[in-house]
Amino acid sequence: MGTRSPQHRNGMEIKVSALTKIFRSPSGEEVRALKEVDLTIPANRIFTLLGPSGCGKTTLLRCIVGLEVPDSGEIAIGDTVVWSKKQRIFIPPNKRGIGMVFQTYAIWPHMTVFDNVAYPLQVRRLPREEIRRRVRETLKFVKLEGLENRPATALSGGQQQRVALARALVSEPKVILFDEPLSNLDAKLREETRRELRRFLTELRITAVYVTHDRLEALTLSDLVAVMREGVVVEVGTPLDIYFRPKHKFVADFIGKANFIEGTVESTSEDLIRVVTPMGPIACRRAEGLTPGQRVTVCVRPEAIAIDRPGDTSGGTNTFRGRVVSLLFVGENYEGEVAVGKTILAIKTNPAFPIGEGEEVSVYIDPAQCHILME
Amino acid sequence: MRMSGLRPRISPLTFTFVLIVGCLTVGPVLMLILGSFSRGIGAFGVFTVEKYIRVYTDPSLPKILLNTAAFTVGSSLFATALALILAYLNVRTDIPLKGLFHLISITPMMIPHIVFATSWVLLLNPSNGILNLLLREVLGLKSSPFDIYSLGGMILVEGLLDLPIAYLIIAPAMASFDAALEEAAWVSGGSKFRALRRVTFPILRPAILASLALVIVRSLAAFAVPSVIGMPGRVYVLTTYIYRLISLGFMPDYGRAAAVGVSVLVTSTVLVYVYRRLTARSERYVTISARGYKPAIIGLGRWRYPLSFLTSLLFLVLIVIPVLVLLYVSLIPYVMPPSAKAFSMMTLKHWNYVLHDPLSLRALRNSVFLALVGATLGILLSTFVSYIIVRVKSAGSALLESLAFFSFSFPGLVIGIGFMWFFVRTPLYATIWALLIGYIATYLPYGIRPLTSTFIQISEDLEEASKVAGGGFLYTFRRIVVPLAIPGIVSGWILMASMFLRELSLSAVLSRPGTEVLAVQILRFADDSLWGQVSALGIVMIALSTTMVTLATLVGKHIGKSK
Repeated sequence: MGTRSPQHRNGMEIKVSALTKIFRSPSGEEVRALKEVDLTIPANRIFTLLGPSGCGKTTLLRCIVGLEVPDSGEIAIGDTVVWSKKQRIFIPPNKRGIGMVFQTYAIWPHMTVFDNVAYPLQVRRLPREEIRRRVRETLKFVKLEGLENRPATALSGGQQQRVALARALVSEPKVILFDEPLSNLDAKLREETRRELRRFLTELRITAVYVTHDRLEALTLSDLVAVMREGVVVEVGTPLDIYFRPKHKFVADFIGKANFIEGTVESTSEDLIRVVTPMGPIACRRAEGLTPGQRVTVCVRPEAIAIDRPGDTSGGTNTFRGRVVSLLFVGENYEGEVAVGKTILAIKTNPAFPIGEGEEVSVYIDPAQCHILME
Repeated sequence: MRMSGLRPRISPLTFTFVLIVGCLTVGPVLMLILGSFSRGIGAFGVFTVEKYIRVYTDPSLPKILLNTAAFTVGSSLFATALALILAYLNVRTDIPLKGLFHLISITPMMIPHIVFATSWVLLLNPSNGILNLLLREVLGLKSSPFDIYSLGGMILVEGLLDLPIAYLIIAPAMASFDAALEEAAWVSGGSKFRALRRVTFPILRPAILASLALVIVRSLAAFAVPSVIGMPGRVYVLTTYIYRLISLGFMPDYGRAAAVGVSVLVTSTVLVYVYRRLTARSERYVTISARGYKPAIIGLGRWRYPLSFLTSLLFLVLIVIPVLVLLYVSLIPYVMPPSAKAFSMMTLKHWNYVLHDPLSLRALRNSVFLALVGATLGILLSTFVSYIIVRVKSAGSALLESLAFFSFSFPGLVIGIGFMWFFVRTPLYATIWALLIGYIATYLPYGIRPLTSTFIQISEDLEEASKVAGGGFLYTFRRIVVPLAIPGIVSGWILMASMFLRELSLSAVLSRPGTEVLAVQILRFADDSLWGQVSALGIVMIALSTTMVTLATLVGKHIGKSK
């Protein structure tokens, strides 16, 4: 990296309190896009807002940058309150000092690459020489050096994406926001760009807020993930927490395929918790605050279920007899369903393992991967 | 710092433009109505219904209404029928020389109506129309075979003038329509003609009705043809009737003129409302079906060349002949058919006269000033207004849109009378600024239309990105919005400038000694049968329009490229 690249800055914390946003259609219908959202986005982390479309994640992002005006609540960036209903404060987006990468990139088609990136500095009326130097450094950082004089529209999708990133970074913002920046790229380029973006952001050590509906993107890119649904933040955690130790069924379901088995807590002694379910007793990983007799849901990821020839290990902990109901070849493995009694479990197996539909199998679930949902 | 309350309020910016546009469009209508109930231009606000009683009991009125109905409906049917045939040939058949069809849509910007009408008078007037004289000579007739000074003549010329409008409505509808429907009709055993009648025509009905309505609106407001062709033949329609009320006699009666004007305005507004309902529906139809197919092209076979010959002839009639006739008449001492004698007598005396006539020169200066300054101010206003209409979604912007498009239904002459009632009370009376304000008010939709469609195409992200990057409203407007909207701004400017350059009907009311404009000056020469001068000035007008349109197009292309 160059000697004075735009990295190693200190970002700022973003604090969102009781934020509500209501959209009104011309016919007078009200849609509550955000419902009393409380959220602290820590400084210098990559923070992802994840959720299905219509969950309010983009609205929250647009409220933070100032393109949308909330109906109540408060937003603070660092020590500055940028929006507060009570204090009657609204700092317009052009005064918030935030960088943003748009879903469509929003590259200005009538300008060159240089002008696109220089724009935030030109607005601030910096000296010409400084503008040129900083644009050059930023373009070098995003690996676009030498393309200054190209018309911005003559670039490929991935390059345009990096122009958008350079433009968001050039004025050294305290916070950078991403609104589904990879959704316009094709699958292969998306994977490449995702990895690159992760590297850029790790080097920058800046507060980044990233909006996506793609769980893979959220898991690979983020330090922290907030899962949203219907205008509410359901759960915040690290990618590993969210994937392996979700608290809510919605989160477990949204972040990846999962089996949900209803049951009753039998005993909470020892290291494991025994839950009685229709398919038999299941030993689960420890969880706090459970009492015998409580109704719970056990969450098991398909990849945590091991399939074997029937017979040899039957009767052991978390070992069940089942029958293969369906099997679907999807490339790297088979996705299938196994019936244990009346319970149908989604499974994943190695294609090298020879089983067929209708066959009897033995099913083993590692207790460490049986997770009790608190919901 | 700005606070947005729970209820969407009108922002100060929107409010300012609602006020400006409201004054420009509702203002003159209000003045027209108040004026029609006033005792006189000097006694504004002194209430009376006397003007209404006098004008609507005028025994000559029924005949005028009949003429108006025949004139407007006649030209509307003629223009629409011709447009249907041309659009069908261009869009659905393999007729050669399709480039000619494009010319039809830009012709009206090049040849002003009054000039076009005059050239037809020169060709077909009964006493010395060139074509009439030629035919009399060749066929040995005692009297002229054609008389342009008739209802038929008026319909012919007005129909040709309004043909481009009809064509521009019908051709896109024709192009976007699903040929599979027609094919289905053939397959089910009908003949091609039957398919055309039973399937094609009904689907095009909204476009056809829209064209009929709009051409009626245009011919109802038309003043060039009724004054140059109708008045000499004593065929009066409503516009010329109103014009006589304010230009003849000892005392121009603006009260009676306003009383008639109110009904013309109401009729026009109703028809425009019908037109907008119809196009709203047909536009929806177009967007749904515009995806993914091309209308089947029908082979014309042995009719290909004869039909192509006929359409070429039409373009000759529309563009080439008017220009040639004017050029010819401007160079001969008096009107006579082309002959060796005529060419030997050619002279520049009419040109000399026009180019040294202080009135004509002043008219020229005024018109160029109005075109350049008026179009620039007009497009500036249109840019802001269209931006608010497209981007600000509030009750205020919806109101602004209705106000801005209100003047689409204004007949120039009538709204001119409304303005007259207003300007007479201000120091603007008889100044060039009165004309300028009137022009912008009346032709505002022509600036706003291309700009709203431009702004709709500019993604809102591009502006938001500028705001986030630190640009305020005006900075964003200057560096992002305006450069991206340049094509729309240029085409709006061209449209406005060319309309201002040839403006006749509003000017006929508002123009005073000192504020003459080209079209009014031509009208005066035509009144005195100074055909040489009419032709010379007409050529000047055509040359100016053409240069302006060409220059502006080039500038637009250049800016579009360099940015």
